[in-house]
Parts: sequence; structure tokens; C-alpha cells
Amino acid sequence: MIKLKGVYKVYFPQTPNQVIALNNININVREGDFVTIIGSNGAGKSTLLKILAGIDKVDMGQVELAGEDITNYPEYARAKDIGRIDQNPLVSTAAQMTIEENLAMAYMRGKKRGLHKGITKKRQELFRDVLKSINMGLEKRLQVPVNTLSGGQRQALALIMATLAEPKLLLLDEHTAALDPKVAKEIMDITCKIVETKKLTTLMITHNMEQAIKFGNRLMMMHRGKIILDIDEVEKARLTIPQLIEKFTAVSGDVFADDRVLLAN
Amino acid sequence: MENIIINGLQQGFIYGFMALGVLLTFKILDFPDLTVEGTFPLGSAITAKAVVVGFNPVLAVLLGALSGCLAGLATGLMHTKLKINYILAGILTTSGIYTVMLRTMGQPNLSLLNKKSFFGIVLSSCGIVEKELTLFQYQAATITILLVMIVAARVLLGWFMKTDLGFTIRATGDNEKMIRSLGVNTDRIKLLTLVISNFLVALSGALACQSQGFADVGMGIGVLVAAIASVIVGEMFFGSKKLSLLLTGAVVGSVIYRALLSIGLRLNLPAEDFKMVTALLVLLALAIPKIKIRVKKPSLDRNTHVVGGINSDKA
Repeated sequence: MIKLKGVYKVYFPQTPNQVIALNNININVREGDFVTIIGSNGAGKSTLLKILAGIDKVDMGQVELAGEDITNYPEYARAKDIGRIDQNPLVSTAAQMTIEENLAMAYMRGKKRGLHKGITKKRQELFRDVLKSINMGLEKRLQVPVNTLSGGQRQALALIMATLAEPKLLLLDEHTAALDPKVAKEIMDITCKIVETKKLTTLMITHNMEQAIKFGNRLMMMHRGKIILDIDEVEKARLTIPQLIEKFTAVSGDVFADDRVLLAN
Repeated sequence: MENIIINGLQQGFIYGFMALGVLLTFKILDFPDLTVEGTFPLGSAITAKAVVVGFNPVLAVLLGALSGCLAGLATGLMHTKLKINYILAGILTTSGIYTVMLRTMGQPNLSLLNKKSFFGIVLSSCGIVEKELTLFQYQAATITILLVMIVAARVLLGWFMKTDLGFTIRATGDNEKMIRSLGVNTDRIKLLTLVISNFLVALSGALACQSQGFADVGMGIGVLVAAIASVIVGEMFFGSKKLSLLLTGAVVGSVIYRALLSIGLRLNLPAEDFKMVTALLVLLALAIPKIKIRVKKPSLDRNTHVVGGINSDKA
């Protein structure tokens, strides 16, 4: 489904601030995989997702999606196959437009947009049905501007928007990190439900080790631009947090020192 | 009093096209486009020249309006392809336009004395003979023609903004990253919007030329601020940020603004002060929300910024 071959990404090359964000990344993600990605700050997790979404360009290497070489496709050209949610609830929705207008734009993901009416009865019915499935009462507020919603509601809407047009790949960049724990759990439940019913290939970055172990069927740990652990479903099922930290220390030779990751448990 | 109403309606409708165009770029796309200061006299100059060389005035107005599309395209290409700052791109196009106007007209201004006007042609196509009308009747007829045109423009624009394509324009102004992630080439959307906006502005210039009977390279000075003032007046008039009311508001605001200018002239206020007064009024209208926010929540005002003269809340 996704193949990364020898991918490098360097920020600020040839300056004192040079950062090798991705250092020879090779991954092969199978169709239907739900991969959780964990790692300390600056490990290259977000860069990896940005490379896949086409927001950042690779410096070297190749990106393949469903057998197609998309390395040089700009972001808008791959959007039809990729849904992405950022950790900031303000990024994934248009604040001044209404819920139904946002959904209409997501409905047309990757399609040619012409002079078809943006909101029709048929579309409204579809939107209501989809919103009902997440149980947040948003189906009654189709004509409300998105900037009146809470962070959790916006993130839930972003989830619907990312998956409405059946993308091949879903990218989640710590999409619950900015929410309070209760809402974060709700959003995570909705995420699982959507990913399961649509059988979406998913990559999810998380700072929370428990989350990383609990969700998905594969776990990757990144450190300094490399993938240092790639744990499959069977092994992951038996994994505990102390074991994960131990493994990290053994592989990287570093002490796991990121308060945010440790405290998150 | 009569004069104020007639003037307000006639000038207000003519400049209303420009207000709609400016609303589209400044407010909806969040792209402060300075090209319009050049596009307005360009539409006027092209129309005047076309009439002088013998084109039908209706066709001449159309040509004038289409010249605006090219100007918008020029600015848009500079900004999207060459990554030139939009303010500078607009100024570069405007500067170039002066040469185009002078070359086209061969002189800084062109009179259309004794030429049939756009309005005369439209009237005669309705079976009305211009010469048989009193001045008042003629003015009423002109206003009716303009009213039909501006209502059509407003309705078309309102319909367009509700289509899938229209949504992408609004989203590009609201959250460019988001709409790009949904597969929209936002560069193309900016180009399209600039073309439509400058079409409206040049149409405004073309109609101004037909109404006053001449074109002048200097007639664009200050029209942008006047258009922004109209948009703001319209917004205050309806007191709403709803798109449909913003569109109608731009036209209503334009009429109110032009009527106020007529009143000023009637009261013998010094005309040379009008531009400064307009600029100060726009400044005031933009400053009030900023000051309010600062008083209410001093730490959050970074989320609100002034773009191109119109307050846009990105939070």
C-alpha cells in the first residue's frame, strides 16, 4: 500500500541548524494496516506524515502509494487518496464556513469542482447520516459556522471530513493531543470505529505509549530520523510500557528522556 | 435632494460593481489586490478607445471589462508562479497599465462627446428614443439599466459562491491549508478569483466612462479606498457577516457612500478633502474592532489581524 524507499529529508541543509529529519527511511505498509508511531520530540514522526501527504518534499528516495510513484506529486494532487488530521483543531476545518459547507468540500475531495450546487437535499441527508453515527449532536447543527464548535467537535468533524470520500490512506498527527482526556477518548473511539468500518490503512502518531500499544496492529518507534522499532501484531499484543522503554534503550543506546511521553501514562 | 438620490443611485450602482469585486478579493479570498486602482481606469480607457474607433458601445463596455480579466491574470500569475508578494504584484501591474492606457488612448484622456453611449444603445434597443426623454427621464432610465445589471451581478455572484467552485474560493480565503489538503490547487483558485474580481472592477470603470462621457488615466486614484469604504458601510448597514448580506451590502454601501459624497458637495464641503476623509473613515472602521479586542482580552489579539483593510478573524 505505502512503500518508502531510502527516504531522506534534511531541514536547513548546510547551515549550523541542519536537521536530518528523516534518515534513510524504508517502510512497507500493507493495505488495512493500522500503524501507531511513537517517538520523542524531533524524531521525525510529523515529517514522515508530511512527506506522505505531500506537504514537504523528499530530498532523496521514493514514495509509493498503491503501486503509484507519488514522490513528485504536489499535495493537492494526492489529496484524493489521503485524508489527514493535524493536532490543532483549527487546521483541518474552515472556521467561517458552516458544518455542511465543510462537509460538502470534503465530499468533493480530489474531484473536479464545478458549478454544481454545493448543498443539496441529497448531500444534506448523507451528511446528517454520517454525523449521526458519531453521536455528537452535530447532525442538528448543519448550518452552524464551524468556529462556534468546541475543539473536540471540530476534531470529530475533521475526522468525518478526512474519511467521507473514502481515501486510501488516513494520516493522524496526534489528533487528540490538544484535547482534554475525556474528549480525547471520545475522539479516539470514533477514530477506531471509522477505521474499522471503512477498513482504512492508517498511520497514527501518538505521544501516549498506552495508546500506541492499545490501538492498531503495528507499532513503529522513531528516533533521530530513523525507525528503530517495528513491532508486529503478535508481539504488540503482549507488549507492556516498561518493555517498550527497555526495547528503546537497547536499540537506541539512549535513555528515553521525554517527559511528555512518559507522563502521558 | 433629488440630485443626491439620483447621483447616489447612479454612481452607487456604477461603483457597486467595483465594490463587489473588491469584496471578493479583500474579504472573501483574503487577498488584498491593489491591481484594481489600475484596472478601473483601464476598463474606462479601453472602452473609450473602442467607441472612438467605431465599436458598438455595448461591445466596447464588454471589451473594457475583459481587459480587467487580463490585468487580474497578470497580478495572479506574478503572485502564484513567481511568488511575488501580492501587494508588489498589484503595484507592478498597475504601473504597467498606465503605459497600456496611454498607448491605447494616445493621450492622457479621451472625450466621447457626440458619441452614442452604452445607455443610449440599450434604451434604443428597448424602443426608447433618447432624444425624446427629459433629463430626469433619461437619468431614471439610466438608473434602471444599472439596477438591472447590478442585481444580475449580485444574483450571479451569490449563486456562484454557493457552488462547489464558489466554496473553494471562500475556503481558500478562510483556511488555505485545509482546502489544499482536500485536493484543490489553490493557486488556480486565486487566479480565477482575481480574474472575476478585476472583470467587475473594469466593468465599473467602463460604465463610469460611458456615464461621464470621457476616460482619464487618473480616474483610478483613490477608488480602492472608496470601494473598501463601501464594503464596510454595507457591512455596518446590515450588521451581519453572512455572505449573502455582505454581497448585497457592498452594493447598498456603495450607494450610501456615493450619496454621502453628493451631500458633501451640496454642502459646499471642500472636495479636495474627500479622499482624506474617506481614508480616515476606513481607518477608523478598521481600528474600532482592534481597540475593542484589546480592551476585552489583551492577550488574544494576535489572532485577529487586519488584512488589506478588512478585518479578518482567523481564529
